[in-house]
Amino acid sequence: MNPPPNPSSSGELSTPPTHSNSPINALDVLRGKALIGGLLVSIWVFGGFSTNWQKHLFLFPHGGNYKLFAAVSLFLQGKMQAMIALVFGAGLLLFAWRQNAKPSTPAMPDLYMRRLLWLMAFGLLNGLLFLWPYDLLFHLGVVGILLFPFMRLQPKGLLVAAIVCLIIFCGKQYWNYADDKKTYTKYQAVMVIAKKIEKDSLAQRAKDSTRIVQAGKPFVAKDYRLIDSTNKNFKKDTLTKKQAGEKDAWEGLVKSMKYDEKQDADKKKAMRKSGFGDLYNYILPGLQEREARYTYTIGVWELGMMILLGMALLKLGFFEGKCTKSTYWILAIAGIGIGLLLGYYRLYLQNVSLVNYEKYITHYWIPYNQFIPIERMIMALGYAAAVVLAVRSSLFSKLLSAAADTGRMALTNYLVQSIFLTLFFTGIGMTNYGKLQQWQLYLVVLEVAVVQVVYSVIWLRHYQHGPAEWLWRSAIHWKWQPWHKNRKAGDENTIANPDPSTSIY
Amino acid sequence: MENNSSNQPLLAPPAPVSKADRLFTIDMIRGFALLGILMMNIPGFGIDRSQFASILQGSPLNADFKMSAFILIYPEGTMRGLFSMLFGAGMVLFTLNKTEKPGGVTVAEYYYRRLLWLVLFGVFNAYVLLWEGDILYFYGLAGMLLYPFRKAAPKWLIAIGFLCFFINVYKNQLWWNETREKRHDYLEAKAAEKRKEKLNEKQQAAISAWTEMENNRKPDSARIKENVSKMRSGYGTIFTYFIPRNADGETWWMYHGIWDFAGMMFVGMGLFYLGFFSNKLATSTYLMILIVGYGVGLTAGYINFYEGQVKDIASLSAYVDAWRWPHWHLYDLRRLFVSTGHAALLILVYRSGLVNWLMKALANVGQMAFSNYLMQSIICTWYFYGYGFGNYNHLRFYQLYYVVLAVWVFQLIFSSIWLKYFQFGPFEWLWRSLTYWKKQPMLKVAS
Repeated sequence: MNPPPNPSSSGELSTPPTHSNSPINALDVLRGKALIGGLLVSIWVFGGFSTNWQKHLFLFPHGGNYKLFAAVSLFLQGKMQAMIALVFGAGLLLFAWRQNAKPSTPAMPDLYMRRLLWLMAFGLLNGLLFLWPYDLLFHLGVVGILLFPFMRLQPKGLLVAAIVCLIIFCGKQYWNYADDKKTYTKYQAVMVIAKKIEKDSLAQRAKDSTRIVQAGKPFVAKDYRLIDSTNKNFKKDTLTKKQAGEKDAWEGLVKSMKYDEKQDADKKKAMRKSGFGDLYNYILPGLQEREARYTYTIGVWELGMMILLGMALLKLGFFEGKCTKSTYWILAIAGIGIGLLLGYYRLYLQNVSLVNYEKYITHYWIPYNQFIPIERMIMALGYAAAVVLAVRSSLFSKLLSAAADTGRMALTNYLVQSIFLTLFFTGIGMTNYGKLQQWQLYLVVLEVAVVQVVYSVIWLRHYQHGPAEWLWRSAIHWKWQPWHKNRKAGDENTIANPDPSTSIY
Repeated sequence: MENNSSNQPLLAPPAPVSKADRLFTIDMIRGFALLGILMMNIPGFGIDRSQFASILQGSPLNADFKMSAFILIYPEGTMRGLFSMLFGAGMVLFTLNKTEKPGGVTVAEYYYRRLLWLVLFGVFNAYVLLWEGDILYFYGLAGMLLYPFRKAAPKWLIAIGFLCFFINVYKNQLWWNETREKRHDYLEAKAAEKRKEKLNEKQQAAISAWTEMENNRKPDSARIKENVSKMRSGYGTIFTYFIPRNADGETWWMYHGIWDFAGMMFVGMGLFYLGFFSNKLATSTYLMILIVGYGVGLTAGYINFYEGQVKDIASLSAYVDAWRWPHWHLYDLRRLFVSTGHAALLILVYRSGLVNWLMKALANVGQMAFSNYLMQSIICTWYFYGYGFGNYNHLRFYQLYYVVLAVWVFQLIFSSIWLKYFQFGPFEWLWRSLTYWKKQPMLKVAS
């Protein structure tokens, strides 16, 4: 695509950003931070610190285990995923700008689509082969394709679109809760009937016996049958199938909110099985449920809002440090602050709802997770602002540059995490599933993080891209890409780019 | 953008065919598919799904059985197939017929905008017009996969299509293996029970799993009663009734069923490049395709129906015991052959010039296929659902086809009249306007 003649209508799609002087790219740092921070949450699933077990924790909110969990939940859970999506959105736009800046064959839209289709393929690989049921690549690919036509919007339009997604996401949370409320109302109505049936049959029994006594006749077998409720033939109204179903629906809901010991035991047993096939079959339904239903109901909105926000921020020059310093400070403090408050409130409400859901549903008009979308969005924004500030200040440049290296190899690192942790925890490898305490799980993350940071830094000294990134690029261009650092500005067909942030994930 | 690709397949036909003529055959086939698709949709609008089982279990002399046999052997799946193929062809037409304006909105952006609106129209059709069998939603999403493949060579496009069908077959086989395993476990548990052994938990579970599966196939009178009464009630009731059903349908069909649509779309792109839909092949080729298509396709359909569907419905156990592979694997192959047979037949009839008025009428229907598709939802929901005439589950299966005939006649006439005055169908106009985000001209300019 050639440069547009009319900058006001479409200039947004073809102006490559001018990069700040800092050698460190804030996007890479954010990606690296999200990759490691996200693992602190993912490790719950990898290691067997199940949501089921977490319910148990909620009932004892004063123990150290709970506090540790709450800290991770407050600072990281959902926020890291949001940040990945944020950076992903910015990366998509950056990719489009780059391709447009140097008209290439095939043109940008083709490369964009190929890129995302291959990302979906990587996601399937991560899920089906590396057995990571919470893979995010597949979903990012799907939503990225859907949002292709939105890239052209002005920052304001993108922000509005992001807010619309946010509102729909919030609405969906409320909608689920409204369904629960409806279930409860139906249950109440059924319970009234059930009580009436009980009362009526008692009254009927009393009436029957009085009638028999008053008639002055001796009791015969038939009469006993009439008034003996233990008798099989005792006539008693029962709930209809539908009413019974409505009663069960609520009772099942309440039960599902309690800690279920058997569920955990079964899960441990399944995850410790040594055959790949067994594990694959065990994981598949959940993986497909996520890939299909999560994407349909929540994923599009949850990821969409962050991707759109990322595009908007990139257009505003946010990641290059173009906003005023005070803006970053305000965003960082307000974002993280409000996010923590919302998160704290969420944990409080979740505790109340887990203690007694019936009481919760009659007292609160919103579900505990009502503001999760806002919490995630605003806190990710706060973190992003903080990172940009740090990059600008060049205070922790060593640390930031290591994080940036980790982020530049994000795809590789993400896949390696799946491979390594699946081997470490499941029965295919070392069978540590459900054997470690929560704090021990975080130590595992620390080790993984150290290893990944170190090899990322070393690798990128010698090579231009991480191995998976290289494979991805080669697949997109359907041609082996240059591998070594010194071979960059080669012939025209190699899309070697001296800019460090080419590996957009 | 299009010109710098050296391996671009030849669009130029061996014999020059005017653009209007080329579009005509495509519209004609699309119109045929659009009308035909109602034959498969009408039971969804008009009767409870349990009726299929009782019809197929009943006497083969019954009019309903005969009608089912006809539908399931001949048109079933093929109209959707043709529609998908033409969607793929339309994709090629849309993207390659346009030149990029420097600095303007790219063709790709228009293409994806168009599809996003189509997805929304699909959501509208399912959730608001209350047609559970909507396909627009899936077409919109599956269409998004096609773009990077649009310049591939025909043989590759057709190969990718077949790969999609293969994935379908593979997934079906996985599911079939699971069913057979359930049956196997059940039989073993039953044998153990016969030997008076005490059953362990797993064996008991195996027995109940299979029994449940068989029971699920029996008509559940309570469910049917509730379904019928719901479908005969007001808009609000059906609206809420359909929300979870539509959500499930759209979720699972998208994830597991996309190969159905994508496969045919890829094949359609390939066939379009080869000139098949645009009336460019020799008459003898079309004749050959007709004979082979119908010959192979109808045979496969016959086997699938009598050996597969009827026997499966008669007794699941016997069918599962007898077949390691279900006849259902023939489905896509059959569809592909019969669909191409339809297209070849139509083009041959068109070339013969025998019923030009009918072909013209079909092309009119096809030119406003999108409007006609949505109109089928509107007409049929009003005819059958409670907030309209409330005829749900009143008609017998074969009687539904009187309604189909009436809709056909109406749409053939309506489309011809409408296109006398307007350039596009009403929904086409809306769709175009939304895609280009600018009100499009609607009235026909007097030439």
